Amino acid sequence: MKLTYSMIRDFVDTTLDAEAIADQLTMTGFELEEITIVEDEPMLDINIMANRGDGASVLGLSRELLAKVPDSKPTELYAHATNRFPTPDEHNRDIWAKTSVEIQTPNCTRFACRVFENLQNGQSPEWLQQRLRQIGQRPISLLVDLTNYVMFEVGQPLHAYDLDTLNGERIIVRQALDGEKLKTLDGNIHDLKPHHMVIADADRAIGLAGVMGGEETEVSATTTRCLLEAAHFVNTSVRKTRTELGFFTEASYRFERSVDPEGVVAALNRFTELYTEITGEKPVGGVIDVYSTKPEPITLTLFIRRASQLLGMTITVEQAVQYLSKLGFTILGISPDSLEVQAPTWRIDILREEDLVEELGRIHGYELIPEELPIGSTPVGGPHGFELLTDQLREATLRCGFNQVISHSLRDLHPLDAPIVGSLGESGIPESGAPTSHSRILNTTLPSGEGSGEGHSEFPSPSLGRGGGGVDSITPGRIRVRQPHSPEMAYLRNSILPSLADAQRKNNLEDIHLFEVGRIHTESGEVTQIALLSNGKFDQPGWRPSDPTTADFFTLKGSLESIAAATYLPISYKRSTTDARFHPTRQAKIILGQTEVGIMGQIHPTIAEEANLPPTTVMAELTLDGLKSEQFGIPTYHPISRNPASRRDIAILIKKDVPFSEINQTITQSGGPELENHWLFDVYEGQGVPDGSHSLAIALQFRRMNANLNDEESNALRDQIIAALSKLGASLR
Amino acid sequence: MEIVTNVQNDAIAAITAAKTTEELRAIELDFLGKTGKLSELMKGIGALPNDQKPLFGAAVNKAKSEVENLLNQKTKNLKTGELTKQFEAERIDITLPGRAPQYGREHVLQTATNKIKRVLGSMGFVYAESPELERFKYNFEGLNYPPDHPAMDEQDTFYVTDDLVLRTQCTALQPRIFETVEPPLRYFTVGRTFRNEAVDRTHNHTFHQVDCFMIDKGISMAHLKGTLGVFARAMFGPEVKVRFRPDFFPFVEPGVDYAISTPKLFNGKWVELGGAGLIHPNILERYDIDTKVYSGFAFGLGVERIPMMAYGIDDLRHFFDNDFRFLSQFA
Repeated sequence: MKLTYSMIRDFVDTTLDAEAIADQLTMTGFELEEITIVEDEPMLDINIMANRGDGASVLGLSRELLAKVPDSKPTELYAHATNRFPTPDEHNRDIWAKTSVEIQTPNCTRFACRVFENLQNGQSPEWLQQRLRQIGQRPISLLVDLTNYVMFEVGQPLHAYDLDTLNGERIIVRQALDGEKLKTLDGNIHDLKPHHMVIADADRAIGLAGVMGGEETEVSATTTRCLLEAAHFVNTSVRKTRTELGFFTEASYRFERSVDPEGVVAALNRFTELYTEITGEKPVGGVIDVYSTKPEPITLTLFIRRASQLLGMTITVEQAVQYLSKLGFTILGISPDSLEVQAPTWRIDILREEDLVEELGRIHGYELIPEELPIGSTPVGGPHGFELLTDQLREATLRCGFNQVISHSLRDLHPLDAPIVGSLGESGIPESGAPTSHSRILNTTLPSGEGSGEGHSEFPSPSLGRGGGGVDSITPGRIRVRQPHSPEMAYLRNSILPSLADAQRKNNLEDIHLFEVGRIHTESGEVTQIALLSNGKFDQPGWRPSDPTTADFFTLKGSLESIAAATYLPISYKRSTTDARFHPTRQAKIILGQTEVGIMGQIHPTIAEEANLPPTTVMAELTLDGLKSEQFGIPTYHPISRNPASRRDIAILIKKDVPFSEINQTITQSGGPELENHWLFDVYEGQGVPDGSHSLAIALQFRRMNANLNDEESNALRDQIIAALSKLGASLR
Repeated sequence: MEIVTNVQNDAIAAITAAKTTEELRAIELDFLGKTGKLSELMKGIGALPNDQKPLFGAAVNKAKSEVENLLNQKTKNLKTGELTKQFEAERIDITLPGRAPQYGREHVLQTATNKIKRVLGSMGFVYAESPELERFKYNFEGLNYPPDHPAMDEQDTFYVTDDLVLRTQCTALQPRIFETVEPPLRYFTVGRTFRNEAVDRTHNHTFHQVDCFMIDKGISMAHLKGTLGVFARAMFGPEVKVRFRPDFFPFVEPGVDYAISTPKLFNGKWVELGGAGLIHPNILERYDIDTKVYSGFAFGLGVERIPMMAYGIDDLRHFFDNDFRFLSQFA
């Protein structure tokens, strides 16, 4: 809403300058966008809230100023406006001989008009042209300029028709006919639908109600007879029509925010007053006013103590009466602790007592509210349970050298998308030319089926019924937004790995270790996952010779174990072959307790090529929902022996197809309580080792509680382990 | 006796001539060791007359002690020189780059989120999360949006079905809490929100929000202002002031937007942070919370705004771009 300092001063007698006025308006809720100087006049651009159409006028903003600024005074013009610009000829019947008005739709609640004859629609006087220029309006002709000026002044849009161009010289307000066409003032032709409201003459639509008039009936330099419209339309109807047809007009801006239905005739009168002042001519006597639906006045009780309590500052009954009266509220009754109040017709936002509380607060001044802290029972704040565990996992992953990324949930399809459960053979990804391997997937990497969406923190996520809306028909099992931002942002990701692949490529680095914690979306609901992607060296290239660790299956496995250990989650691995995104002999399911919670491994070389990633890439994804670290217990304490440890190293030859986990287990079981620790420190194959076998060097560390182990005892413990290993086919090298 | 003096003189001459501590150690062995020359002299004591024995012994011990002192003195002197040489040989260029252990880098939004969680958590607000793909009734209906509110348009909100939208505000947590938790209550969340908006420097279709709210007996705008004051000062510095300005949101009444001002940011100009207000009584009533007994406040803000203000970041799109040239500036 644009207005000049002079226009405000027409209504408000004040010593404040433009900036001070803007500050005061901002503090009433009408925020200043900017002040600019146009033709030596300060022009204020004010932001009008969606439910305060009354503010889209000089009159409305003046009302706010007069209520807010104690030493400001209303001018005569303001008083005249408050009385709705009474004119002596208002109730004259002459106009009825000239035209008629009929309302046929509930979306129009009032339609009024005046008729002007013997017109000369020339240029406006310079003062009017200048004022319009100052608020960004182009002067056109006297009739058009006056409709615009009065709209800015009082907030009621007006429209002037050339009465001679109206078939039947009458007005009908109705819904459009299906297929009806209208050429609007801007020269565009619109195909109308029955949910668009139009102003029509006897035969055709002549204007889009509340939005823009039609070209064929507009006033021109040759116009001698004019019908001036002021009407009230239902705001939602206007908004729907103008957004659908792609308009923004000053009229629709006001109707959308709602216009005072009681100000309709007042605007016609103000136009007439100015017209007569400028031309010396009078209109045809009388006003046609069809008022089909009068608004019910809203009456509320305001309890002053409650208002003060909610605002956190004391307001007296006298202050409340003063503030509300100045804002145009009618005080119907006053008692020591309450008021009976009727809301003005231009305030559609006032519906209950709390709305009046806000009025008192903003006029009294929010700057007077003190800062207090709530008292009462305070829970232990911050994250708990699942949310706490997620934080701990994130911290642990950072410590393992992985960089955090945050990526969009909305994205395109990608070769690293999670396989779709149960859509065997039909889940190809045509758009991205994904491999046929995607349709060979037999199993999912994620917990699937009923209830998997139920694990999320306090609140189960809504799940989509199979085949329901939103589940994409082109790509079964995927969730797509109905009106995507762009085709590349159409799907909700069902895995974080594609996001990590994008981040890797974006940074174009060889050595990169990434992770993200975020939500993924599947048909069965929304879950939180952590995903990791790792490539190349962990150390940065340095100037000193060193032996950098390079990412592979085992660095990732080790990282996952460290991350799990930091949160006391006992994870284990199970050989897997079925996730087509991963190398078939270098992938493992991640098991927590008894439940499969994720997958990790090296990327499948074919997928690596498609996704433009190095074939050495390793990656993992893990579903976190339902996890609580405390459910897996707390660490247990073991007393520490003060006696020295003894170490024995062994090298065994064993067939390569014996899994290390079995060797590990055998050592643990046969070592007994004295086996404090053991670790693999070399794997060798080649010269001196038979084909199909390898040599494993294992360190054994023994220690006894409260007693020393002598050499013989340590050797005996070692031999006991070797004997057990020989049952697996191991021999000493 | 002469023999003692001769040996001692030999020792003194050797010590004086020595140039390294290594030579001194050899001299020490040669004269003072178990079979050293001075020690050997004592073996001849048996052949001496009895009255000479004590005198001879004393002379040898005196010589030993003097040689020893001299040795120690000389060793000390030589060591100082040798260390100086050693240090010179071991000189390094301390301006060469250091070698840091490779920890992962936290995303700048995570750093801001963690700080928010610490501050609000310490004020007794419980952290909770709710779905990103949210039911219409929690995102709009339960938050007192009138039917036909423009925000519900398909042009502004991402719909998956008529009933499921990508949440447009983290305020959607509120109705879920009100459905399940009896007041008094204090909660907050930090999460993603989605708007179908054209993307530019200051707009993105996805961004992060904080939503924080409480319900208790007698909660007022003063409690809201006090809580925001503590929060804003913890986030932006002890001299931060908070200002309310009337604004309209369907889920609060009175509704305000709040701005902060500090001499450290934007020359003390008021900078809008987010929306706030008392939770709308229509919402409390919808969830059977007695508005005669209870009232509550709520406030929200954009997470991205915090690092944007703190570091002067001028483009919102950076936060989801994952460009290390951007991210590595902050961690």
